[in-house]
Amino acid sequence: MDQKLQFPADKNAGAPKIRPAISWMDAGVGLAILAAFVLIAFNIYSNMTAAGIRPGFGFLAQQAGFDLSESVIPYDAADSYLRAILAGLANTIAVAAASLVIACIIGLLIGLLSVSTAPLARLFALAYVELFRNLPKILVLLVIFVAAVNGLPTIRQALTVGPLTISNRAIYLPWLSDDPGNTLWLTASLLVAPPFLWLWMRRVARRQALTGRRGPAIAVAFAIALGIPAALAFVLDAPLTLSWPHLAGFSVEGGITLSIQFCTVAVSLGLYHGAQIAEVLRGGIEAVPDGQIEAANALGLRRGQVTRLIVVPQVLRTVVPPLNNQFANLLKNTSISIAVGYSDLMSVAGTAINQTFRPLETMLITMSIYLVLCLMVTGALNHWNARIRGREGRSAT
Amino acid sequence: MSAAPTLERLSRNAARAWLGRHASRPGSSLLSLASATLALYLAWIVLDWLFLSAPPPWAAASSCAGAAGACWPFWMEKSRFILFGTYPFDQQWRPLLASLVLIALSVATGRMAVSGRWPDMRLLAVTWLCGMAASFLLMGGGVFGLAPVDATRWNGLPILLILSTIALALALPVGVLLALARYQTRHPLLRRASGAYVEIMRGVPMVTLLFVGVFVLPLTLPKGMAIEPITAVLVALVFFHAAYFAEDVRSGLMSLPAGQHEAASALGLGFWQTVRLVLLPQSIERAMPALVNSTIGAYKDTSLVVILGLHDLSATARMAFSDVAWGNQALEAYVFVGLWFLLSCSYLSWIGRRLATRGAAGRSRSTRNSD
Repeated sequence: MDQKLQFPADKNAGAPKIRPAISWMDAGVGLAILAAFVLIAFNIYSNMTAAGIRPGFGFLAQQAGFDLSESVIPYDAADSYLRAILAGLANTIAVAAASLVIACIIGLLIGLLSVSTAPLARLFALAYVELFRNLPKILVLLVIFVAAVNGLPTIRQALTVGPLTISNRAIYLPWLSDDPGNTLWLTASLLVAPPFLWLWMRRVARRQALTGRRGPAIAVAFAIALGIPAALAFVLDAPLTLSWPHLAGFSVEGGITLSIQFCTVAVSLGLYHGAQIAEVLRGGIEAVPDGQIEAANALGLRRGQVTRLIVVPQVLRTVVPPLNNQFANLLKNTSISIAVGYSDLMSVAGTAINQTFRPLETMLITMSIYLVLCLMVTGALNHWNARIRGREGRSAT
Repeated sequence: MSAAPTLERLSRNAARAWLGRHASRPGSSLLSLASATLALYLAWIVLDWLFLSAPPPWAAASSCAGAAGACWPFWMEKSRFILFGTYPFDQQWRPLLASLVLIALSVATGRMAVSGRWPDMRLLAVTWLCGMAASFLLMGGGVFGLAPVDATRWNGLPILLILSTIALALALPVGVLLALARYQTRHPLLRRASGAYVEIMRGVPMVTLLFVGVFVLPLTLPKGMAIEPITAVLVALVFFHAAYFAEDVRSGLMSLPAGQHEAASALGLGFWQTVRLVLLPQSIERAMPALVNSTIGAYKDTSLVVILGLHDLSATARMAFSDVAWGNQALEAYVFVGLWFLLSCSYLSWIGRRLATRGAAGRSRSTRNSD
């Protein structure tokens, strides 16, 4: 009995033993898992039928009948539960993207401060990181939400800061006016420019591999990114007019609206994960040996070159795996937005559970979606990481 | 007599060096200046809010209405409510005692981890189990002449401590078993099953697990059996945290050199003996900083139970400022909760740092010895 389990290193040790195809323990484990599932399924079935509900996913096609606080994709209460869940998913992705941008900016700033030569700046960065590492994210969110709702002016006295209109209900931004020409131009630019950019970057990579020179890579990329939309605007004759938010009665019309719930979730998660990203960056930058920078200086590289060619590639190598973890955590942490009433995936799921009393089906769907999203984020970053490492491997041979 | 010119020269040299340092790096000096200004400004805001424009603690509640600073009367009046919530007022020594028991157990365990001197593990486990039982009995009552108190009235600090310390204490053994199941190779199904479990748990948000605990778990019980929300949440938290602990312990196991279990099997130790005497003591020692990190994360995340309607500290804080008389004191209420978390998490991070430096020192010593 004691000798049955085996360690990884024993695998190749000693003479090959004859083993049954399936060990007794495995058969037992399989049976136990199966029995547990059958028992649970039976209990769930009898409990749900006792409550007059037939288990199944048919309810997804029924009319949801509840409103969302806001939605990135078109949605209204007459739509189906499936549509409501998709709207929640879109909201989750939107708020995750916004938080990610804020977190990266804050993380970069604080991370650079924490390795700067100015002691006071380092102290400031340390205080920031320690503060947010020792507070629960939900507390950060609740404080910022209460501060925004109580501290910002009502919609009648909305503040105007540059292009922004800020009230305690929402933040309004000017946006392309609702004109078919504008929509066509935006869609066309988003469809046409990226493939050209991709082709150009591939060409640069080939050229660098062949000749060791990159040429004007960044300048041409900018020219493509700006030139194609400009050309398309000319060709399609898009009006490109902006719609400015303005007060109309008791609400603001025009522009796009970012609800205060969306903004507080994005800012809280941005501040919270910014501290963690800063810590990751600090670790990565401090891990670059001084000798590397001294050697680069001795070779006569300029300061910008040292940063771009010596420091950044090595920092990237060490920070990508922990950053990967951070991005996945950020995505999962958007589920706290239910606490301030932002209609993300989790909050739609919560409403659906209350209305249908189908927690099993709803949670299965919700958890699968989160799992797939997380796997996609980590998968994409792992792929990138493998490419960075692969490049290093090639250059070494 | 002769000291004066030397001193003068010294100070002149120091001043020149100081000037030279700053003139050669103007960016850095500007950054220092900017951070100092910002830090002073923030410190001034905090000082002003806390003391200068704040009404004194003994002032009447009405004096907070026009004051720009912190409302000290609110803290005087509501601190006890934030800590224990709606628990019957004359019985509040019970949640206090339950909290103290759990804090004492946690601090004692933390001290053992820092000193590296562990008592018999069975004794520690029994003490923890007794502490958990005692805290539940104290809170719930119904025995030893204690008046029964419904679980919906368990609020504030004791809920936070019960859900964090008890869930973590129970999750650690489960996590160790999961890590061992994923580490061994003889039983591929066991290995796959535990691997899949750990990866799924780590791929979903904790809030979804809490929903599963509160809404799905009751459905899976036989007809007629009911489960309190707090117990359901506790079960969900144990299963969730166990997956994170499992990964930490497994990384500790993977970092052990193969010679360890080869030597153990050469000595004729069986699997469980090898695990208990050779592998776990070393791998847990190596995994300690990661385990402490997971513990801090899990402890902070316990406050997410507020989403499920369990009243931990952030919920009692909200209840405290929902009182009409104290409607504008939201910030004060949350600052109180934030201070508790800052203090307790700083203690945990301090343990983590001590363990990390000790672990690094220990490993460098052992490599020196083996050289």
